[in-house]
Amino acid sequence: MTATATGRTADPVGAADRLRLEARGRIAEALAAAPPGAVDDVYVGWVAAHGAATCPARYRGEGEHGWSFPGWSPPLAAGACGRAALVHHVALADRTGRAPALPMPLDAIRAWMRAIRTGGEAGAGGPPAAERSSVGDWICDVWEAGDSATLAAVAAHAGRWLAGFVRVLGWPLPPQLTLVGPGPTAAPALRWRPAKDSPVTVACGADARLGRVTGAGGFALVVHRVVSGDDGALRDRAAFEAAAGALAIGVVPGSVLITAGDTGERVTVPVDDDVLTLGAQRIVAVVAERAAAVERGFDPSDGTPSAACRHCDHRADCPPGEAWMRGAGRWQGGLPAMPAPTSPDR
Amino acid sequence: MVEALGDLLAKPLDAPSSAGIAALRAELDAAARATGAVGGWGLDEPLRLSKHLVTGLLRCPRRALSERSEDLGPSDDVIVGWIVDAAAKLATVSPRRGVTVDAAVAFLSALGDGSVADRLADLGPAAGPLRSDAAARIDRLAASGLSAVGAAWWPRVEEPVRVALAGGTVIVAGRIDVLFGGPPTGRPGVIVEVKGGRWYDGMRADGHLYALMLALRDGEVPASAVTIVSDGTTQVERIRPALLQHAAERLDEAMGVAARLAAGEPPAMSPGAHCQHCPVRADCPAGRTWRPGGAETGA
Repeated sequence: MTATATGRTADPVGAADRLRLEARGRIAEALAAAPPGAVDDVYVGWVAAHGAATCPARYRGEGEHGWSFPGWSPPLAAGACGRAALVHHVALADRTGRAPALPMPLDAIRAWMRAIRTGGEAGAGGPPAAERSSVGDWICDVWEAGDSATLAAVAAHAGRWLAGFVRVLGWPLPPQLTLVGPGPTAAPALRWRPAKDSPVTVACGADARLGRVTGAGGFALVVHRVVSGDDGALRDRAAFEAAAGALAIGVVPGSVLITAGDTGERVTVPVDDDVLTLGAQRIVAVVAERAAAVERGFDPSDGTPSAACRHCDHRADCPPGEAWMRGAGRWQGGLPAMPAPTSPDR
Repeated sequence: MVEALGDLLAKPLDAPSSAGIAALRAELDAAARATGAVGGWGLDEPLRLSKHLVTGLLRCPRRALSERSEDLGPSDDVIVGWIVDAAAKLATVSPRRGVTVDAAVAFLSALGDGSVADRLADLGPAAGPLRSDAAARIDRLAASGLSAVGAAWWPRVEEPVRVALAGGTVIVAGRIDVLFGGPPTGRPGVIVEVKGGRWYDGMRADGHLYALMLALRDGEVPASAVTIVSDGTTQVERIRPALLQHAAERLDEAMGVAARLAAGEPPAMSPGAHCQHCPVRADCPAGRTWRPGGAETGA
């Protein structure tokens, strides 16, 4: 890949082609390490990429629930429902020919839920039908089941997502912002499979795109987080989403805009060759660890202790994790544990 | 303490001046740098403060550290508090005539926290008094008017807010129970904190801290902090510059206590009314001798 003087990839289409070729080959190599057919479903999203990179042992021990798409739940559906509701809100306004008003988060969520449930009330003056989607189908199922607690939890999570997104991005939304979601006015979900029969799905977590996709690149992927993590992971996150986005779109984005609802931050990470390479490594590492898990399962030999050990299901079987908890792990959030007979190691 | 939430929001609310926010930020950044040098915190290992930890460090450092270090398990009071808290949030996001204990527990489980449902199931019929207590408290909350707030106020629950001081040496983070207004609604922010127990004056501090954090995050000072308590109390407080200054001073002091602990100083034991509910009182010489009314017994 060739970078410009500013670090940006000079040939966004060619770079994406080469990335696809390289990723396809390395993923095939990784899968070949497992017995044929032993790896049946690998969902490569940011959570898996972060998990496999920060503690391979823990990722291998997660089992099917952690390796494949875990299914919709209120926390997981927050972004998808929030985006779909926002798309629907804008579509309603478009139909009247007026600029969309500032959405009321809970009302927008409820209006979208009603629209997918009823299929809209097509006809002159009626609201348009909401587009079908995987998360929309799940909401319909939950509704059919009369599970009002789950619907309320979805409203809470998705309303919070929508409110934070609009607060940080501003209203009206930036020109040329296209949300990822269902419907003709939105961008389709960014997914890539190395081959038709591959068990691997690479899922870009971008919530929106800023700018049009052209062969010149230059567009940005927007990733909104309800809560921020440590800045150390920010470049990793941008790298993963840039590579996953390039694989799905076929064009390397110019940058990744990462926002956070809890801090109000907007951080732009330019995409250059180093960022793409890092992202591709993260993607391939997930598949490699998943393939290794067939034979090894949870094997603590490469357990990588961190604060995540405090909530790890495998800690009791993980000597590195246990040792860390007795040492540096005794410090939590910058404070020592009690009792503290002597100053513990940090 | 007489104003109900509906009354507060029905009247025009003046947005407080944002003058002074930059100065507060500068003071806190300087304090975080100074205490960070003592505590040894940095970007890799920052001090992480929450409203509970700020209050805990100022009230009794020993208890604050103990609660963080040991998995003490929630008491029945805490379980009831969680149910009441969930009921208030459910009423906010899903207006309905009444919220039952079962609905609140199901909502908690749907949010991803099944611990209360598990606890009630473990208790079986013995959970009856706990359920009755929670139901009575939820009934008293119903008068607070949470479910009647209009959509234009942008009701949202568990609003996350996080402020990094001194470039990330100290992180202050929390989730506001309920937040109305604030950017970009064009209405001033109104913070609501829900408390499952009985009113006491110290409860106000949480709302003050969140007002400070929102001001630092959004550049706009929220108009009010409302504390809704399950004993029927609704405390409405207009956010004044003096309250923000006080909240900043508490934060500064908590960072100072934390720095001394991180530097190896033994945690102070500060007995008081909080000893009555302290899970580590049995191991605490000062706590064991403390008695309500100030009469300490001989050890």
